[in-house]
Amino acid sequence: MIYLEMWFTFMKIGLFSFGGGYAILAMIRQEVVVKHPWLSASQFVDIVAISQMTPGPIAINAATFIGYQKAGILGAVLCTLGVITPSLLIMLIVTITYLKLKNQAWFKNVFSKLRLLSLGLIAAALIMLFGSVIADLFSIIVFTLSLSVTWKYKLNPFYLLLVAAGVGMLLG
Amino acid sequence: MLLSLFFTFLKIGAFTIGGAYAMIPLIKQEVCKKRSWISEDEFLDGLAAAQSCPGPIAVNLSIYIGYHIRKGKGMAVAVLGTVLPSFISIILIAMLFTRFAEASLVRKAFHALRPAVVALIAVPLYQMSRTAGLKPGNFWFPLGIAVLVGFLNVSPVYLIVITIVYAIWQGLRMARK
Repeated sequence: MIYLEMWFTFMKIGLFSFGGGYAILAMIRQEVVVKHPWLSASQFVDIVAISQMTPGPIAINAATFIGYQKAGILGAVLCTLGVITPSLLIMLIVTITYLKLKNQAWFKNVFSKLRLLSLGLIAAALIMLFGSVIADLFSIIVFTLSLSVTWKYKLNPFYLLLVAAGVGMLLG
Repeated sequence: MLLSLFFTFLKIGAFTIGGAYAMIPLIKQEVCKKRSWISEDEFLDGLAAAQSCPGPIAVNLSIYIGYHIRKGKGMAVAVLGTVLPSFISIILIAMLFTRFAEASLVRKAFHALRPAVVALIAVPLYQMSRTAGLKPGNFWFPLGIAVLVGFLNVSPVYLIVITIVYAIWQGLRMARK
């Protein structure tokens, strides 16, 4: 029974998470700490830290971790599937519709507006991250160097992140 | 083709740290320039759709690109590639090393990784502003969105719904004229 409930809870989380990343964390907390007794408040803070420090979408990280803690590998698989179930359904419908209608004028208009919205949402993410991340001298230096190197030399982001991780381990 | 699709998204999944936005230039480079799977216009539309639909943006984008290239099979392979690095690393940490976040080497690495990620979001924002059709006349719109969501914590859902409804209404009105 817990399996079904976990899958359903994470499906709900996936369905109501918009704009990606950090917005989803408040929703997850509400479901797994407040509504269901699956995690304590301090366990949740640990999960947020781990999710931010491991690769992949934060929602997937949190789902996998909570699922594993409560119900082992099967729990991890079910919670992860739960989070992506709404994506699979809705994004598939949107993609098929896009391929059918992309040459219609009114549909093109929707996407030209959504592109601008998309810019705004990325700028919003930048605003939210900037305040919490660029907090000390070391961060300012790394940020400025990364910005200028990426800008000028169009460095592949993989290499930038690898170099940054190395620099952090040595000097951070 | 399916194999290279899988490995491309595996790479993207493995390097998505702190949200999908930092990986936008990389995904674009891999799927538009290096492999020519979709056009740059289609990519921008896909990104806008991925942000406007519920769920993780990286997963949404992999569904869009995967389906474009190879229908259902492409979609499954791309999603699996995006999710696997996250899934495996979390399982390993949960099994072996719950105090992962407290390890000093990890903390140190992230002290530099986070500001680098912020820079990786800032650069494509400028480049995208040209391809997304930003003009002096419509500059207020993304700026307003950024202020509402970034500073005032307005949920993007409302803005997405309003934008879509308005754009459809405007488009239909243009069509009638």
